[in-house]
Amino acid sequence: MRNRKRVGWHRYINGVVISTIVTALFILLPLYWLIASSFKAPNDVGTTQLFPNPISGANYSNAFVGFDFGIYFRNSLVVTIIATALVLVLGTLAGYALGRLPMRGKFTTLVILLMISVFPEVAVIAPLFLLMKEIGWLNSYQALILPYTAFNLPFAIWILRNYMLGIPKEMEETGRIDGAGALRTVWTIILPQALPGLFTAGIFCFTACWTEFLMALTFNDSNNFRTIPVGIADFGGNFQVPYGTIFAASVVAVVPIGILVFVFRKFVISGLTSGAVKG
Amino acid sequence: MTAISSASGQSAGGQARTFVPPVPRPDINRKRLARMGWGFSAPALLVIAAVTIFPIVYSVIMSLNNVAVTGNGFSLDGFTFSNYNLLIHASLWRDALFFTVYYTVVTVIVELVIGTCIALVLERLVAGRGWMMALLLIPWSMITVINAELWAYIYNGTYGVADYIFGGLGLGHPVILGTPTPAIIGLMVADIWKTTPFVAIIVLAGLVMLPGDVYEAAEMDGASGWYTFWHVTLPLLRPTIALAVMFRVLQAFGLFDLPYVMTGGGPGTSTQSLSILAFNALFKNLSFGPGAAVATSTALLVLLGCLATLRVFRAQVGQGD
Repeated sequence: MRNRKRVGWHRYINGVVISTIVTALFILLPLYWLIASSFKAPNDVGTTQLFPNPISGANYSNAFVGFDFGIYFRNSLVVTIIATALVLVLGTLAGYALGRLPMRGKFTTLVILLMISVFPEVAVIAPLFLLMKEIGWLNSYQALILPYTAFNLPFAIWILRNYMLGIPKEMEETGRIDGAGALRTVWTIILPQALPGLFTAGIFCFTACWTEFLMALTFNDSNNFRTIPVGIADFGGNFQVPYGTIFAASVVAVVPIGILVFVFRKFVISGLTSGAVKG
Repeated sequence: MTAISSASGQSAGGQARTFVPPVPRPDINRKRLARMGWGFSAPALLVIAAVTIFPIVYSVIMSLNNVAVTGNGFSLDGFTFSNYNLLIHASLWRDALFFTVYYTVVTVIVELVIGTCIALVLERLVAGRGWMMALLLIPWSMITVINAELWAYIYNGTYGVADYIFGGLGLGHPVILGTPTPAIIGLMVADIWKTTPFVAIIVLAGLVMLPGDVYEAAEMDGASGWYTFWHVTLPLLRPTIALAVMFRVLQAFGLFDLPYVMTGGGPGTSTQSLSILAFNALFKNLSFGPGAAVATSTALLVLLGCLATLRVFRAQVGQGD
């Protein structure tokens, strides 16, 4: 019943196929609109023209030349890459410890970590803002790198700890018998086994940093330190929202993350299904 | 040799599936490993505490004080409950709370229903499932600010494609983002577009893992497809769905990016979430006391949600052990 064999034209036209196409269109049409509008001539953006005609790159040059999208892109890249690297290093150590070492209180620690990962950012921005103002961190890379690291660590620890649990104990013992130090055991024996977990944690952290808005808006609003989301939100300032420029910048912003997610989709899906934490 | 094996036998923390000696011997190795564990975790836990726990506590202190902001800093001028008093009597806070709850409930329910439908369809899909999964990940990885700009463009009154479609269908020209109810629906549609795929992926993963023999038994009994879904599939999926719903609800409660960019909380204050209210109070009006009170109230509600569903959290952690 569940997967009955379909014959004749039912093999190609049936409820499943039609529903799939509807779903695909539901996802693709807004995306098409985003991409198509970015290639319209600036004057055509304010119309319901269905295909860009003529195809124009004016919005793209405007985003980089007229606005400082290049700077925002660089800022996002710096903050995201450093925060992700920090999360992976600290998360691996903590994930190993919480997954495999006999620590009293690790159960409670993990429950608290899971709760922190769903905590609203708005609860921390006021004190952090005042603190950063005090120590002169506003409008700097570290103003975002530190909070991004902290907010993404709980989920990374969680994912990595789950992978660590699955590694057979014998492998670790081999290292210990060989007389390897604790850090070397993690590096040479545990890490290669936990590589899928590192990919999963890494791609989740990268995506979260790349898309974060509230803290970037609060801590870094000077033009030189704005990240992509804040930059795009601020394009529309004066009288008219320059949608052409916004969409050109959006396409450029979405492409790297899209490629990354596509390449590592197996790990993304495994992360979504094993943790189901990030929405 | 014995020292090594007993240490590793206990290193799993007394799990049921490993052999544990009835009387744990005092073991130097075990203590050493525990110390090492806290040493390894310390950097991560300290960073997390510094950026989350310390500010949350400080937020609570600020909300219980008269906060005076001066040109080069701020000062706490004594204990007061007036910030919360203000909150409880302000219709702004009640409206924001109502909007946030209403928005959360509606979007999560709709996303769950549509997401489950998509998952059920994809489970039966023979060819192209991998491509569909990849496609589902695109909205998930989308920057919310871009999502907001895109839908604001679609809803635009003069050249928006939604207006064009409504006009073509003879439904007139509703002012979507300029009137409260359509604006709320508009926000929800944008949210549903971005988040339904996430729910679909989780439910699909749960579906794929269900044991096949249960279905064979149901089929033998002559159960209809609909009956099987309600009485076999859904109960088996419940843990998966409960987890997804809990995290979605708790996260939706922090709603900020989408309405901030798309409607600015308007028209009026009809789409002002608790986070937007707190942000405006803190950084637009520089009222740090009341702002902190709004932020604290939001955090408190999320914390209550966490505690109410503590069982799910604990089950999640316990799963691996």
